[in-house]
Amino acid sequence: MIRETLAFARRSLIGRLRQPESLAPSFVFPLFFAALGVSSFGKAATRLPGFPADSYLAFSAAGAVIQGVLFGATAAASDLATDIEGGFWERMVASPVTRSSIVVGRLASSFVVGAVQAAVFLAVFMAFGVRVHGGIGGFVGVVVGGGLIGLAVAGLFAGFAIRSGSSEAVQGAFPLVFVLLFLSSAFFPRQYMSGWYRHVADVNPTSHVVEGLRQFVTRPLGTQQFATAWGIPAGVAVVSIGFALRSLHRRLAAP
Amino acid sequence: MSTLDGPTVSTAAPARALVARNLRRVVRLPSAFFPALLMPVFQAIAFSGAFAAAIHLAGIRNSLDWFVPLAALQGAGFGAMSIGFATIIDIQSGFLDRLRMAPMPRRALVAGPLAAAVLRAVFPVVLVTAVGLIGGMNVPGGWLGLAVLGVAALGVGFVAAGWGLGLAYRMRSMAAAPLMQFAIFTAIFLSASQMPLALMSGWAKPIARVNPVTNILRMARQGFLGRVTWAHTWPGLLALTGLGLVTTLWARRGLSSVDRI
Repeated sequence: MIRETLAFARRSLIGRLRQPESLAPSFVFPLFFAALGVSSFGKAATRLPGFPADSYLAFSAAGAVIQGVLFGATAAASDLATDIEGGFWERMVASPVTRSSIVVGRLASSFVVGAVQAAVFLAVFMAFGVRVHGGIGGFVGVVVGGGLIGLAVAGLFAGFAIRSGSSEAVQGAFPLVFVLLFLSSAFFPRQYMSGWYRHVADVNPTSHVVEGLRQFVTRPLGTQQFATAWGIPAGVAVVSIGFALRSLHRRLAAP
Repeated sequence: MSTLDGPTVSTAAPARALVARNLRRVVRLPSAFFPALLMPVFQAIAFSGAFAAAIHLAGIRNSLDWFVPLAALQGAGFGAMSIGFATIIDIQSGFLDRLRMAPMPRRALVAGPLAAAVLRAVFPVVLVTAVGLIGGMNVPGGWLGLAVLGVAALGVGFVAAGWGLGLAYRMRSMAAAPLMQFAIFTAIFLSASQMPLALMSGWAKPIARVNPVTNILRMARQGFLGRVTWAHTWPGLLALTGLGLVTTLWARRGLSSVDRI
């Protein structure tokens, strides 16, 4: 099964590399937003007491990572739905392979893509002067965290893709990602929010994940970062992979 | 009497028919319309909540006063621009060819969709403003402030529709869609959209300073931040007039490019 999973993961990675137009937005938009945010809020950040980073640029690194990984993972699930729509899925299911490897392989590729995205984003931010206070461990923390977020979200959307068999339906679920992202502390610290918006950001797991990732950059290494930036997405990944596999068995059992 | 000898058809009648047809699409295909309706509301809420502290530094107590006009303009822009998507579908289905063969002035094929787009843009503007008012947005400029916001937002809708229509006539495929959205998106965000110019810094500030959308936003926001003044209105009106003329010409020439195929 491991060999088959790796083969499917490889196929999925090659497929994504061959479609740079679908991969590019998940790199370009987060970096654009971050650059715009630095120009818009950079001055304000220096005037706000207790701002939790050296600069808005350092603050926005984690937001850019999670944004890019979320966009990328959604695109991966959309590719899975396209496979189902195009009939390639049926050929894979009919082939003599462990069926769960078809899904797990694709999810494994989302982990790799998420980790690579996180590494690229952090390298770009470092090139513009961001210092990773967590050192090499902090860098690895962000990279693995990016991979785990990719895995968790890809699992969820793969489940949607398998159940619906429609790339349009997967794209239709995209606003959910958008809402989770914007109603969190991905773009501004929670401590400056107030009212119901603050309450929503407090209970939104995206806030805690992004803050964990951010602390790898803004603080020396500690257990807290790992608990939130790795622990939460790992937990969600277990549930979402279960959901994807359950959706697979349901689809296979359908007449 | 042959068709060619028939009575001259005015621009208004076919344009009205095209407006009615485009508005019927809203009812028949709500899934294509609702995202453009709801996104500005979500954006107004999300930005006002997330960036409230930054906006307070500019002396603005209620962040809704700053972000609702932005969301209204963006909603109008994206809502109206979707006329470009509808036009691409008409081109691909061959309906545009039937319209081109009909005995009516060519300008009706531009005027009709533009008018329909502006009417479609009314919905997100009204909705986001209503949500802002319910949420406690201030309007020291009173009815005049709201009216000026309406003019600015529908003006942006007109400009965005002209851009989308021109691109649809030239590219004639859905590949034009990201380009339509990207241009509107960058034009709005590379202005003083998120923070006042005085609090901006770095690379985007000089762009925002010369971006005509900054003047349009200043015009749209004035009634929510203070009283409406001519000094804050005319630069926005000038920008809208200029952009409106350019994009209308762009759309008209785009239609001519279809005729040359």
